[in-house]
Amino acid sequence: MNELLVKLSECIEFGKINMASPYPPQMKGQEGADEITRRALEEGVPPQDILTNGLMPGMERIGVKFRENKVFVPQVLMSAKAMSTAMLHLKPHFLSGAAKQKGTFIIGTVLGDLHDIGKNLVGMMVEGNGYKVIDLGTDVGSEKFIEAVKQNPEAVVGLSALLTTTMVSMEKITKEIKDALPGTLVTIGGAPVNNDFCTKIGADNYSPDPQGVVEYLNSKIA
Amino acid sequence: MIHTVSYSFSELTLDRNYLSAMLGFPDGVLPEPFDQYVAEAIQEAESLCEIRGAFCFPEKSEFIAKNSCISVDGIEFGIGKTVAKELRNSTSVALFICTAGEGISRRSRELLAGKNPVLGYILDTLGSMIVETATDQLQKEIMRIALSQGFSITNRYSPGYCKWSVGDQHKLFSFFPPNCCGISLTDSALMHPIKSVSGMIGLGKEVKFREYTCDLCSQVECFHKNYMKRSGIQSAV
Repeated sequence: MNELLVKLSECIEFGKINMASPYPPQMKGQEGADEITRRALEEGVPPQDILTNGLMPGMERIGVKFRENKVFVPQVLMSAKAMSTAMLHLKPHFLSGAAKQKGTFIIGTVLGDLHDIGKNLVGMMVEGNGYKVIDLGTDVGSEKFIEAVKQNPEAVVGLSALLTTTMVSMEKITKEIKDALPGTLVTIGGAPVNNDFCTKIGADNYSPDPQGVVEYLNSKIA
Repeated sequence: MIHTVSYSFSELTLDRNYLSAMLGFPDGVLPEPFDQYVAEAIQEAESLCEIRGAFCFPEKSEFIAKNSCISVDGIEFGIGKTVAKELRNSTSVALFICTAGEGISRRSRELLAGKNPVLGYILDTLGSMIVETATDQLQKEIMRIALSQGFSITNRYSPGYCKWSVGDQHKLFSFFPPNCCGISLTDSALMHPIKSVSGMIGLGKEVKFREYTCDLCSQVECFHKNYMKRSGIQSAV
């Protein structure tokens, strides 16, 4: 594989944003995701290869480490920042069709809940694994989810909740999405929910961590 | 009568080990560069926070045991079995609200959405810690008043926890003037600013404060529960 892409995947895994970034300490003074992505494009590496063989493997590795409690939220955010910096170079190629994302993921924190860090983390990981992410924000009701799915009929919906009190809202939204658009897949996550709750409310998947969402999407879309 | 308090950032004693645990680093050691981020966040928080609280001692509290409810000045709170059990020997209650202010949440949101998500996340976490630490201070003030009248206090309990409906926030806030301490409620009973705490504390001659209350909560994946376990603070009841 192209050596640049190997380096790029390491930048994503370890959260090396650019040359000026002091993190991680062992990569101080080295090029980061920003410079390497730009250089790869200049050297003619196809944008799709950069996404598939550079960015995605790095994001997958950090996702697995997070699941295994080998790294924590701040480190994942560093990786996500490195990823989004690289994606800025790739965005024009997505628009032109030179690179394609795997599918679309619509995510939001359910009505009545204003917490968004977990949701954002999932969104970043999913985007870093090659999906287009539509983030509807917090305190989102079923109408907004349904409208977004109508505009993106193949999309999978992700519902997030932090409060036990908003699990009721999650149940209602899942039911209303399924009633309005029966084929839509709904995956849920958040501190108070679990697999039993997922089954009870008729959602299609529960993931305790962002990598689980990526794996679910890969199994259903990619 | 509404008692109001305000705290400057420097009046709060923040436990750095606990903050590390909140950020996910269980052994309290923050690797480079997160230690610098925390220092930066603490420096920023000092000017961002507007820490205020209020509490009151309603005149008449009465338990309605069969429904796990408590009636406070004629307003019925459905506190649920768990909280009712903890408050059962109380002869009266204190109600409180406390906030770290909107500034820290606003700044955190900006950073999370933009150029520095790590600093944004640390500020968000720090905001949670600040409001809880400030509420500890407020609770001490309630305890001081209670002790002066010969009463002890229970732990504090909040709507939304231990199956106490978050909808009761509206009832709790009815004991305070509108927008008291700058806190308002959304239609779904969430507090704004988000870094706010509200709740109830039992008072009485036969009540006890417990060091460990994680046994009341069924949540399995909880950093606080894990932190208490690692610190050797566990249930003795």
